[in-house]
Amino acid sequence: MSAPVTRVHISFILFLIAISIAGMVHVVRAQNLTDTLRLKEFEVKSNYSTDNSCFKRVKIDSVILINHQNTDLSNILSQYSAIFIKSYGNGGLATPSFRGTTAQHTQVEWNGINLNSPMLGQVDLSQIPVSQFDGLEILYGSAGIARTSGAFGGVINLVTNPDWNNRLNILAMQSLASFSTFTSNVNVAAGSSSFQSHTKFNYSSATNDFPYYNDYLKETIHQQNASFALFGMSEELFWKLKDRHLFSLKVRYNQNDQNLPPTVTDYNLDHLEKQNTKDLFAVLEYKLVGKKYNLVVKSAFADQRMQYRLDSSINAVHQYYQWISKVRFSYNGIRGLSIRPGIDFTYDQVISDDYDGMKTRSTTSFFTEVNYMAGQRVKTSLVIREDLIDAKFLPIVPALGVEYFPWKNQDLSFSVNLARNYRYPTLNDLFWTVSGNPDLKPETNYSVEGGFTLYHKSNDRKFRFDLTLTGYYSWIYNMITWSPASGNSNLWQPENIDQIHARGLEAGLNFNWKVLNFDLSLDNNFNFCHSTYQKASSAYDQKIGKQLIYIPVNTLNSTFSAARWKFYLNYNFCYVSDRYTAKDNLSVMPGYILSNIILGKNISLRNFILSLQLEIRNLMDLDYQSIANRPMPGRNYAVTLKFSMPKLNRQ
Amino acid sequence: MITNHPNVKEKNTPIYNLLTLFSLLALTIFSDSCSKTPIREKTVVPPDTTHTVSYANGIFVVNEGNFNWANASVTFIDNSSNTLIQDIFRKSNNRILGDVAESMKIADNLGYLVINNSNRIEVVSLADFKSVSTINGLDSPRFLEIVDSTKAYVTNLRSDVSIINLKTNTVSGSIKTNGWTENLIRYNKYMLVTSIGMFSDPSAQRRAQILVIDTQTDAIVDSIQTGKEPIGLVIDKKQKVWVLCSGGYDNFEAPSLIRINPELRMIEKTFTFADPTLVPSRLCINPTGDTMYFLRNGVCRMPVSAAALPSQPMIGPEGRLLYGLAIHPSTGHIYVSDAKDYVQNGTVYQYDTYGTLVKSYTAGRIPGSFCFTKSSNK
Repeated sequence: MSAPVTRVHISFILFLIAISIAGMVHVVRAQNLTDTLRLKEFEVKSNYSTDNSCFKRVKIDSVILINHQNTDLSNILSQYSAIFIKSYGNGGLATPSFRGTTAQHTQVEWNGINLNSPMLGQVDLSQIPVSQFDGLEILYGSAGIARTSGAFGGVINLVTNPDWNNRLNILAMQSLASFSTFTSNVNVAAGSSSFQSHTKFNYSSATNDFPYYNDYLKETIHQQNASFALFGMSEELFWKLKDRHLFSLKVRYNQNDQNLPPTVTDYNLDHLEKQNTKDLFAVLEYKLVGKKYNLVVKSAFADQRMQYRLDSSINAVHQYYQWISKVRFSYNGIRGLSIRPGIDFTYDQVISDDYDGMKTRSTTSFFTEVNYMAGQRVKTSLVIREDLIDAKFLPIVPALGVEYFPWKNQDLSFSVNLARNYRYPTLNDLFWTVSGNPDLKPETNYSVEGGFTLYHKSNDRKFRFDLTLTGYYSWIYNMITWSPASGNSNLWQPENIDQIHARGLEAGLNFNWKVLNFDLSLDNNFNFCHSTYQKASSAYDQKIGKQLIYIPVNTLNSTFSAARWKFYLNYNFCYVSDRYTAKDNLSVMPGYILSNIILGKNISLRNFILSLQLEIRNLMDLDYQSIANRPMPGRNYAVTLKFSMPKLNRQ
Repeated sequence: MITNHPNVKEKNTPIYNLLTLFSLLALTIFSDSCSKTPIREKTVVPPDTTHTVSYANGIFVVNEGNFNWANASVTFIDNSSNTLIQDIFRKSNNRILGDVAESMKIADNLGYLVINNSNRIEVVSLADFKSVSTINGLDSPRFLEIVDSTKAYVTNLRSDVSIINLKTNTVSGSIKTNGWTENLIRYNKYMLVTSIGMFSDPSAQRRAQILVIDTQTDAIVDSIQTGKEPIGLVIDKKQKVWVLCSGGYDNFEAPSLIRINPELRMIEKTFTFADPTLVPSRLCINPTGDTMYFLRNGVCRMPVSAAALPSQPMIGPEGRLLYGLAIHPSTGHIYVSDAKDYVQNGTVYQYDTYGTLVKSYTAGRIPGSFCFTKSSNK
């Protein structure tokens, strides 16, 4: 009983500490403050990307990240991106499905370091707090080949960057939400024009005992065994020498104690199912910036531990280490041409209670990206990647893209790309005790994609919009699926059995108006994805041509935002169509619409900004389930108080 | 201020068309969603053709459902009207069953559905399949066997045999064992219970045995050592007990079929299967007690008098994932299920005693076991 109380205390203590630090600093530095408070300039969300090299990349607006500092990555992606998130509910496992693929086909990177577990091959997006990164970029389909192999769906790239103009910036946030959810963040960024330090703390806990209508009991009860306590901290140091040398060290630690809730029918259990994770990532980076070339050398270390407990019967610990080294070079000496070769080296080591002894894997990737702009109209991009796994070469992974600009100003572009990609099995696929299958082949993917982007800004810059329309077709062969072994139906084994065809259409339409001093915007993402099983396991198998389970055919998310008088309003609407729960598509979760609303006010108090934000989630109080028989909360609320000392910028 | 941008509007009419399309789409979806129907899993089942449902004469197919998906169900093959009714528990009770419906047993006019992962037994009236009671307080229950009109035993994953009071439908006691108990069968006043060992132990450390429980005193009076993972148990016409051992989840040793003399409590015969990766399961016996059946790369048949294990299955798998097996208690017909890939509806096949296909039936998710009504006669 004392645990939640303690968590609340910790939250408040962190918050108080932050305020007092900020207060002290304020006293010391007060004379340096100018009268005008300068907020960080907001970057506007745009599907139109200046860095587009024939492949689709979308950046998520930093305003969205700022308004969602009290939540995790899975919420941002389900509300503001084209990626479908399969979620077990508030704080529970949340995995991405990108372009009709499975969670293992989306790679999540933090400052260029892959966060996907080498054991499972996927990431739990609920474990990544929004406060831990400054920028979020989504690389669609073959755009990911420039970063890694195996991401058939795409890559989610989280970045943290220094602001060399910053002298001191403090942010402290305390959020209180329904179901005893407390979230505290403290970020301190300080430095000079050549040195910056960013320190971040976050703590979040919830009893998560939301009421829901239990279909088995036919009465409303509270969710059980769903509490969590997540703590994270990071320290990032950036050092710049003569505008040519850039050093950085980033260290990030996260831990989570999480209870795993039962299904609706298993409400009466006094059962214990827990997961405890501890992750440490460290990245050391050196960047040399020349006139015609850049060099990046990066070395990273990851230490991750996961403990799973189920009553008294299972208590398994999985410990894994990763050493990652990357060298990237880029040469821009010839007009219109850029060449970027690189080598990545990854060494995985796993000690798991479910493996027979320690298992290791080393992966070396060689790759080159060549971009060529012929005149003002045509841009071509070629990426070639070759992976060497434990001294065995995989086939070449190539991606070729062409982009055409019919107008002089590049506001309209058409692009098309083709790629082949491979994903090698996860360590669980290979080494899980008894079940692991060392004979697995890598999965193969062929994809083709085409689309256009149109960008427009009115002459007075008060109105702008962008429109992106993309169609893709993707063929996945030898997909690894765990299924009952032939000859022993009690033994499940991974095998290269499935063949998947995923095709779809993505439309993004974003508007931004400045009218009567109102700042209005409307962002829409529409997705159609028909991803089907193409190979039957027997003549009696009914799955051919059927949609993959838990992947909706249509999704739409729309966000309307307005700002005026330092008030801000954000209304988000998400539609998810039916998701099948059987491969023969004979059982289905009906589609639903969720809406969320945020209303906030930034109050300038002398030298601080105090932001008060109110949030209503599941506004319509929809009684829904995202995954069958896993309850989700009804209408719920969050109040967030944010205290920020604005940047003391260089005068 | 909007008038500031007339040029924008004129220049990009296709965009505005698209915007209109978007808004229309949004509007459609919105109007669609304002209903307050809870979002729950729906199963597409063919409409029932029977107008009067009777569970007097037929076969209950117990569909296990996926672990932690809460989607177990019961399909009824109605022999009197020659129809098939899906998902009868949900239809009669307007609620779901939970998951991993392991087995069903009939006593008097009640059906006992053992739901393993949901840790309970649902007691239903056989007249209408409506819930009569729910037995809680079990720990991963596996199988139920009736002792007498007042008492039943239930095997559990975690080291005991639960005693059920059939009058109150509660757990009235527990017989401690030193491992997970799996199958059970009555022999005179004794209950023979297979015990696999501790769930958390590797195969080498698991003690596989048959426990002999005196049903009058609820005490373990003896035990018989067997091969790893004794999972199947039948009694033949000569009152000999046959035990099928899978050899361990990790193919620890070769699977075996053992014959036990229950009077002497000794092993009389051991047949060892040649290929340890082909694991036998679902040991059954025909109504006359002279022929055994089990699954091993198809349906295998073995007379109790045979000198060796069958070399070939009588019914081949033909690409199917054969999962459940039962022999009709009066006709001797073979009922075998195809669980497919476990993530879609399974199929039940009915073969006659010669192995000729009689009929096939669509079932629910992972059809694993069968329960025949008392007057089941087809």
